[in-house]
Amino acid sequence: MSHRISRDDLRKRAGEWIAAGKAVAGPVQVKPGTVLYAPLASTEALLLDGWIRPANSIKEFVFPRHEALYAYRIDGAGITLDDLPAEMPEQIIIGAHPCDAAALPILDKLFNWDPRDDFFNRRREATTVITVACTAHDEQCFCTSVGLSPAAERGSDVLLVDAGGGGYNVRCLTEKGAALFGAAVDSVVHDNSSPAAAEIDAGPKRRFDPEAVAVFAKEHFEDPFWREHALGCVGCGACAYTCPVCHCFDIVDEGNPRGGVRARNWDACQIALFTLHSSGHNPRPAQGARQRQRIYHKFFMYPEKFGETLCTGCGNCARNCPVGLGVLPLVSEICHAESV
Amino acid sequence: MSGTNQFEPKIVAFVCNWCTYLGADLAGTARLEYPVNVRIIRLPCTGRIDTNLVVKAFEIGADAVLVSGCHPGDCHYSAGNYHARRRWMLFRGLLDVVGFETRRLHFTWISAAEGRKFQQVIAEITEQTRALGPYLPYETQAAAAPPNGTALHPNAPGQDFAGASQELRATARRLLEEGKVKVVIGHGASGPVFITRPEDSDRLEWNENSLANLTVYLKRPEVRALGAAAVVVKGCDERALVVLQQESQFRREDLQVIGVACEGLGQPKCEACDTHRPRFADQTISSAAAQNAAPADGRYAELERFLEKPREERLAYWSAEFDRCLKCYACRQICPMCYCERCLADKNRPQAIDTSPHRKGNFAWHLSRAIHLAGRCVSCDECTRACPAGIDLRLLNLALARAAETQFGYRAGMDPAVEPVVGAYSLQDKEDFIR
Repeated sequence: MSHRISRDDLRKRAGEWIAAGKAVAGPVQVKPGTVLYAPLASTEALLLDGWIRPANSIKEFVFPRHEALYAYRIDGAGITLDDLPAEMPEQIIIGAHPCDAAALPILDKLFNWDPRDDFFNRRREATTVITVACTAHDEQCFCTSVGLSPAAERGSDVLLVDAGGGGYNVRCLTEKGAALFGAAVDSVVHDNSSPAAAEIDAGPKRRFDPEAVAVFAKEHFEDPFWREHALGCVGCGACAYTCPVCHCFDIVDEGNPRGGVRARNWDACQIALFTLHSSGHNPRPAQGARQRQRIYHKFFMYPEKFGETLCTGCGNCARNCPVGLGVLPLVSEICHAESV
Repeated sequence: MSGTNQFEPKIVAFVCNWCTYLGADLAGTARLEYPVNVRIIRLPCTGRIDTNLVVKAFEIGADAVLVSGCHPGDCHYSAGNYHARRRWMLFRGLLDVVGFETRRLHFTWISAAEGRKFQQVIAEITEQTRALGPYLPYETQAAAAPPNGTALHPNAPGQDFAGASQELRATARRLLEEGKVKVVIGHGASGPVFITRPEDSDRLEWNENSLANLTVYLKRPEVRALGAAAVVVKGCDERALVVLQQESQFRREDLQVIGVACEGLGQPKCEACDTHRPRFADQTISSAAAQNAAPADGRYAELERFLEKPREERLAYWSAEFDRCLKCYACRQICPMCYCERCLADKNRPQAIDTSPHRKGNFAWHLSRAIHLAGRCVSCDECTRACPAGIDLRLLNLALARAAETQFGYRAGMDPAVEPVVGAYSLQDKEDFIR
């Protein structure tokens, strides 16, 4: 049986976790108009209501934008590699959205394919996700089009569902989540379970069929559609870096002639340098090819390889795009192009 | 070194080959003693000393930096030191805003005959730096805590945009039908649109979302490939055109400019705007309410309020801001002025700026981005709007704009006939900060 918790008690409990030395993160308004998932020093800043969703995603906590992988030293004897401290403190993300939580099992597949990524897995294991089911959505939300819903359980350890009167129903979905609330696991999460009809009704209207997008992408690889609809793209990485599931990275060495660290940084397919060869050749020479890649990867390549759509319908790409592009605007154009 | 635990600062001196280096050499041959704390890096000319080199020196352990060249009038290349002087005047304004301790950065003119002055300068700088203590890199500073729960931003004020939209569509249709242009770059319902057929002109909109500065597309090869263009500009966007024209990025006669007098579309982008009406457009869609009046409390009110904070507080503020930077480069990509085919940030032989989005890499990036826009940024504020992390890039741009206006009486993008502030110099440029 699920139990109830008031907002005040939830804050109090989060305060106890912080006091116990756990790393707690949640939505914070960093300045007027900007809400981000960020580490919490106290629960005062934790924002539970009054906004659609943060401008970033929780992937940052399992796949940081910058991560030193190992250190190296160069001396007369050659090169020595040093492991860096591998400690991953227990962390709790509170107030995640279902579209963020669902990203984690999607990313699991990529990071455990070939090879297994220790850095990702260690963080993933140390992380507990407390999701709050959505009660509001905007015109950029489309979780219901990619098989999720405002109360989807996927990827969450605990799901809090608004129960009115300033309280939540607590659904503990994993042992990790149950332990935090001193309760028993309420139900087993079926990783690929479809959301209930009532949940879908409460969410954004279903906007498109991901399979139709895959078919379009596959059949229109050399279509002028891509060039025409990418004219507005200025080639930044705002969409990919705020996407819960975009996971491309770059490996760099930073240091001096005596040594340094090898690090992994986020990278993004919309940036021209992403595919530039040292010869000067760029296999994706223009923005059309880069936008096509983004859609193609999300709706055709990833599903083909891992059986998952690489998109959770959060709408961050469109909200963060300075020129009004993003998955939903582009996919809407695809659906429009297909219907005429 | 001495047996005491006295702090021995590392001082990096970037000196020109023709005057200061010879001055240092003379100090040596004359057996003049000076502290061993200085590391001299010889470059052809102070005009060659990129601000990024200074940032780099601090990044890798300098406690103070000296930049030194020929006295005015003595430059081996005639005017390299004048160009450098102007650049440093602007750069100091920027460092001040980010809370950098400017007492760690020194400028001198030392001639080949001034061995004694070199000796004195190094002794003084060493002593001063010893008093300041070691330089603490940006990444070790405490970041300011984020503010708690202020109210969310209101949307742009409601205005009647229908009339202007109609006029825009008619103008675009006419230009395309007459064959004057192949493409009209304008605003659509949710972002920029590129109208190539007269019958598509109805997709053009003018509304509270018409925030983008469309002149950014003049640099994009995909858009250039469409042929002769018309572009829709607000007063602020048009200032970017003026700078691009000054910098020979396009020929004015090749471009049709459709101006829209704008009452202001949103805060804070439009807060301190005084160019609501385009001034050089081929045709302007007018609005009586849009007038080019100076803002009541001045163009730099926001910056001046910020500068009232103590230096340490400014430093903590920017540490927190730069911590949020993802290095998505939206600020660069959305900027009409950032048209370099290969950005300094993308060069890796040598790696001028760390590509990592950590504080060190972010500090170097944002300083470089800002200084490259010195005297060129037109305050359209698109970088701040585009930033998904909400970083106040506006303040950095304002600092440079204010430095250019107060020191050189120059505002970017106001007049195509005026000589740009960077790339030019005057013998009268103030040099009270140079020893």
